[in-house]
Amino acid sequence: MLRRVVLQTFRQGLAQSFFKRNAASLSESAVTQHPIETSEEAGAKSGSKQKNGDESGNTVVVAPPEFRFMYPEFLPDPTMERRNKLKEKLERMDMLQRRSIIEIPEFYTGSIMAVTVADSNSPNKFACFVGICIQRGGSGLQAWFILRNVVDRQGVEILYEMYCPLIQKIEVLRLERRLDESLLYLRDALPEYSTFPFEMEAERRLNNSVVPINPIKVKLRPRPWLERWERQNLQGVEDLNLPQRYYDRAKEVAKPWEKYDLMLQYRKTIPAEEQEKIYAEVHSQLQQQDLKRKIKRRRGPSSEQ
Amino acid sequence: MNQADLSKLVSALRIAVKPKPRLFASPEGPAGRLRKLKATVTALVKYERIELNYPRAEEAQGYAERLISDAIRNGDCHKHTMEMADYWLDEKQLIHKLFKVLVPRFKEYNSSYTKLVLGPKTYPGYYAGTAILELKGNPFPALQPATQNYHYWLHNVLLDEAKREFRVAKAESNTNLSEPVASKN
Repeated sequence: MLRRVVLQTFRQGLAQSFFKRNAASLSESAVTQHPIETSEEAGAKSGSKQKNGDESGNTVVVAPPEFRFMYPEFLPDPTMERRNKLKEKLERMDMLQRRSIIEIPEFYTGSIMAVTVADSNSPNKFACFVGICIQRGGSGLQAWFILRNVVDRQGVEILYEMYCPLIQKIEVLRLERRLDESLLYLRDALPEYSTFPFEMEAERRLNNSVVPINPIKVKLRPRPWLERWERQNLQGVEDLNLPQRYYDRAKEVAKPWEKYDLMLQYRKTIPAEEQEKIYAEVHSQLQQQDLKRKIKRRRGPSSEQ
Repeated sequence: MNQADLSKLVSALRIAVKPKPRLFASPEGPAGRLRKLKATVTALVKYERIELNYPRAEEAQGYAERLISDAIRNGDCHKHTMEMADYWLDEKQLIHKLFKVLVPRFKEYNSSYTKLVLGPKTYPGYYAGTAILELKGNPFPALQPATQNYHYWLHNVLLDEAKREFRVAKAESNTNLSEPVASKN
C-alpha cells in the first residue's frame, strides 16, 4: 500500500540542483518562444493553439483551455494561507522533470488504469494493480489518485501519489468520465461495478478529441452505507428508494445558500488569469514531451519489424 | 492539500481578499449572513454610494466585485451568471442596470470596480467604525481629492531642492574620488 511516501530523494541537493534547473529553464524559455509545429492528426489532445499577439508584435503562446482538466495538479492549493509563488514554481519545475522521465497520462475519475510500482518485497520487483479511479486530489507533487478493484471478493483501494519515484508505469486502459467527480459510492455499490480483470488490455479510443462520459447508473447494496448518499447530489447512482423521512431530513440539513456564495467559490478556485499564466508556462514542455513519446511509440513497433 | 475547483472560471479580483470570511452571526445562521449581504449589495448597485459599518462593507465589497466581474466575463446570456444576479439583486430592474450600465462602464477597467473609504468613528460607538462603499465612476462629487501631492507646496519645494543638492554633492564627490589624488603643490 503506497500511502504517504516521503519524497526525500527529490529534495536532496536542492540548492545545487535549483541553480542548474534555473539555468536550464532559462535556456528552455528562450527555445519555447518558437513552439514546435506539430504535424499531428487532427483533433489531437493539444487542440487549437491560440496565439495572442501583444503590442510589441511578439506572439504570446497560450495553452488551450482543456489543459486545466487534463493537468489539474499543476494548479496550486487555493487556500490563501498556503500560497507561495516560489514554492509553486519550484514544484512545477520538479513535476515537469518527473514527467520527462515517466509518462503520466491524461485520466479522469472513472477511468480504468494500471499502475506498476517498484516493490522490494515482491518476488519480481514490481507490483502491478489495475482499478478504476474513484477520486483524485492534491496539488503539485502531492497529487494523488485512488484506484479501486475487487480482488477475490475483497474490495481493495490503493492511493497512488502520481509523482512518487517508485512508480514505474501508469497506463490508462479505458479513458472515460462518469457523471460524478467522486465515485466513493462504489464502496457501497454491488461489487460488479468495481471489478476489473487484472489482465485487461488498453482499449483504443474511437475519438481522440473527446473523452466519453459513461452515463451508467450504479445500483447500491441495501443499507447501512458508509455515507449518507441521499444528501449528496449524485448523478451516477440509481434511485436510492429510501423512506421519505431521509429525504426530508436531507432537505433540513442542506445548505442551499452555498450555491450562491460567490466568495466561497472564489476562495476555492484559482482565478482564470493565474491559470492561464501557469499553463502557458508549462504547456510547451508538456507538448514537447508528448510529441517525443508519440514519435518513440511510432518508431518502436516499426523498428521491431 | 486541496485541488482547485475547476467547474467555474472566475476572474481575479483586484481587491485584497482575506483568507477567511467574516461570520456575521444571525438567528438564521449562514443563510441570514447571505441575506444581509444581499441587501447591502443591492443597495450598493442601486445607490452607487452607501455608508455602513466597516466589516459589512468589506464583505459586501468582495461579493459586489465578484458579481460585476462575472457579469463582465460571461455576459447576460450565461445561465449561471444570471442566476447569481437574480439572487444577489433583490430589485429586478437592478439586474438590467448591472448588465446594461455597469458592465459597459467597468469593462475596460484595470483596477477594482468599488472603493472602500473609511468613515467617521464616533465615540462611543461601534468599535470598527463606519465606511463608505461606492462604485467607481459614480455621478457624485469625489469623497477624496483627486491628487494629494502638489509640487508647488512648500515642503515639496524644499524637499526637491534638498534632493537636487544631494545629487550634486554626490556627483562631485564621485569625480573627486575617480581623479587621482592631485599633488599638493
